[in-house]
Amino acid sequence: MEKVPGLGSARRMRGIPTPAARLRPTPGEGGTEMSDDSSVPTLVARAQDGDKQAWDAIVERYAPLIWAICRRYRLDRPDADDVGQSVWLRLVDQLPLIRDPAALPGWIATTTRRECGRLVSAPRRREVLGYAQDVAEMPDPSPGAADAEVLVAERNAVLREAVRQLPPRCQELIGLLIADPPVPYADISGKLRIPVGSIGPTRARCLERLRRYPAMAALISAGAFTAEVN
Amino acid sequence: MARQQWADDDQLMAALAGAFRAERDVPPAFIEAAKAAFTWHSIDAELAALTFDSDTGAMAAAVRSEEASPRLVTFTATDLIIELEIGRDEIIGQIVPPQPGHVDACPASGASLTASIDGIGCFIIRPLPESPFRLHCHATSGVSVLTTWITL
Repeated sequence: MEKVPGLGSARRMRGIPTPAARLRPTPGEGGTEMSDDSSVPTLVARAQDGDKQAWDAIVERYAPLIWAICRRYRLDRPDADDVGQSVWLRLVDQLPLIRDPAALPGWIATTTRRECGRLVSAPRRREVLGYAQDVAEMPDPSPGAADAEVLVAERNAVLREAVRQLPPRCQELIGLLIADPPVPYADISGKLRIPVGSIGPTRARCLERLRRYPAMAALISAGAFTAEVN
Repeated sequence: MARQQWADDDQLMAALAGAFRAERDVPPAFIEAAKAAFTWHSIDAELAALTFDSDTGAMAAAVRSEEASPRLVTFTATDLIIELEIGRDEIIGQIVPPQPGHVDACPASGASLTASIDGIGCFIIRPLPESPFRLHCHATSGVSVLTTWITL
């Protein structure tokens, strides 16, 4: 696992758009420069002030991390729902105490793993959700050693946000190119009304633009361009 | 696991596919429940920490062996202690220092139950709220205290 210094500090990430739509263009966006309104520390600060949209953005950014951990623990759906609920309910309570938003993803992962472990070792055991770990002092679970699960989740979040700030045409093309099951080039050509021969060069231009997105550029310059992927 | 070179278009595309797959895998209801949790943010009350639970820790095994004994739980805030006996059908509680008021038993979703707190700080919540739930104590002194979540 490659250490990704840029990912360790969410505060250095810039411009996390609200992933309201899945690969759909975000109205009013499309430039390469994002405002700082949606960086993780800003989202945390806004949520602390009662901004529901900021909370929703935090949820959309980190729910895939919680879900992936639940899947890894092979929890069934009701148990995964319980874990998700207890993690988010705790986070709401702890929200006013957060002083270092950069530690948030690590806290979410650690809390999720603990809840998963609890269900796996003692299914359905009643208990009070005691707050053994104060979010105000959210320690890095393993300082020095990168938390692979958190790094992958953060990197995925940056990839998604980077795509969502691309022009609509690029988003559409990328969406079609990564569709599962795959969409034939002839169909992509028809849908986007571009020659099949232009798909490759257009993709290259879109990806070049993607790499210039500040948060992506930060990851790449931090060495994250060689990261492990499942 | 493969090394991804993001300078390579095909590998960057593979990383993008993985990033959106991870998001697509999450059931919408899982997201919606998480978003709904934010309603608890607006409650203006001091958070009372769990300071004792007969169901966890060293006492747990001994207590659990006696099926009939109620579960004892204590929450502590700056100006108020909430002691609970959680039985099979009801919760008997007392606040310290003793004072009247009322208490809301709030499940994570759904309507809350309200019970009055008598002059010596005692209250009974019946039936048991849906799990998980928390208690919100309003003392006539003006103290407003919210417990952390209790799972039955």
